[in-house]
Amino acid sequence: MTPHFGLAEFGFLLRGLQWTVLLTLVAFAGGCTAGLAVALLRTCGHKGVEWITRIYIGMFQGTPLLLQLFVVYYGLALTGLKLDAFVAVAIGFTVNASAFLGEIWRGAIQAVPRGQTEAAMALGLHYSSRMRDIVLPQAIRISLPATIGYLVQLIKGTSLAAIVGFIELARAGQIVSNQTFQPLLVFGVVGAMYFILCWPLSWWGSRMEARLALASQR
Amino acid sequence: MQDQILIEMKGVQKWYGGYQALRNVDLTVRRGEKIVLCGPSGSGKSTLIRCINRLEAIQQGSIVVNGHRLDDSIKAIDVVRQDVGMVFQSFNLFPHMTVLQNCTLAPIRARRISKSEAEATARKYLDRVRIGDQADKYPAQLSGGQQQRVAIARALCMQPKVMLFDEPTSALDPEMVKEVLDTMIGLANDGMTMICVTHEMGFARQVADRVIFMADGQIIEEGAPDAFFRNPQHARTRQFLGEILAHH
Repeated sequence: MTPHFGLAEFGFLLRGLQWTVLLTLVAFAGGCTAGLAVALLRTCGHKGVEWITRIYIGMFQGTPLLLQLFVVYYGLALTGLKLDAFVAVAIGFTVNASAFLGEIWRGAIQAVPRGQTEAAMALGLHYSSRMRDIVLPQAIRISLPATIGYLVQLIKGTSLAAIVGFIELARAGQIVSNQTFQPLLVFGVVGAMYFILCWPLSWWGSRMEARLALASQR
Repeated sequence: MQDQILIEMKGVQKWYGGYQALRNVDLTVRRGEKIVLCGPSGSGKSTLIRCINRLEAIQQGSIVVNGHRLDDSIKAIDVVRQDVGMVFQSFNLFPHMTVLQNCTLAPIRARRISKSEAEATARKYLDRVRIGDQADKYPAQLSGGQQQRVAIARALCMQPKVMLFDEPTSALDPEMVKEVLDTMIGLANDGMTMICVTHEMGFARQVADRVIFMADGQIIEEGAPDAFFRNPQHARTRQFLGEILAHH
């Protein structure tokens, strides 16, 4: 007998949702940390380092995320490094996110007027203080809408993790749908779950953007 | 003491790619001297003062500030920047910090003095530029003239030996020019060594010990303000003075 979509199935989806959120948090936290390093290296003023970072960013932006996940999961396994599916996709998403966030923040760092850095230099502030106290606080503000936008993309993008057998929300939905033959209902619930995660963020992002636009008019 | 040399530039040459911005510039500034630099746009006057605190690198020649030779080493640049304050045309206040924070950041980070001491110093200088009551506001809440006075106070908080002014009144509405010039005159009267890039010839007459005219990256002519304005030697200088004084 085919099971109907009930509490047990809903619970299964919720566990999938949990993994989606966890994967997103890990990838975003890792991506932010590595992305900051990428953005700083990309703007450090040393031509060689800037080129290497540029290639790094280009590589991850220019190839499918799917491929990158394959490389981490299957490729590393071939070299004898067998990773747990969660660890593998977490690494894949982190590295990918570092390239995208790095590029977003590179743009934001460069959008901070040159005069800010010059004033800081004239006051005798060193690179670390110039970045920490002057440039990054302003760059982060500038990049916030794009960063939130990327986070929303990341949440939805984690569904790709299913490809290496990791059961997150989308994959959980597929499994439940196959068992219950109620794809419309199941994927409707799955879609609603994604929406509840993403929509408030999108809303917050666009509000932030409007605020920034207003601030820059003054 | 009066004759002590504070800044000495010798044979300074600077290129931007193939364009030569400074040609063989020699300039000596003694302690307490007030110098006004003028000249048409693109003449290299801003570039010249930006070389003194190494916002621009030079390709040839030497610059010595307060006995320290400026080279490419971080240490030399550091030492020189500690002695040189700068005020920009576009103020360049830090918009995410209050007026007080703008003034205390560098003393705390670069001079490593305590926060309370830095705040006391900052309030002293903010009072001196008559803006002490705005200490907790953000730059965007102030008028242009007020912002520029904060920028002057911010530079003074580092207790510089010399102040560089890069067209400090050019971005201001006319009614705010005077308050900034008055602040600068006050500073001059207190004995601060100053190099000002400006077209405010009234200011030059009132406080300058020397007026220097630049064109095409060279120092064309210099002299005491009286002689400089009454009897300029070079045709370029006469032409320039004719153009800017016609507006006043």
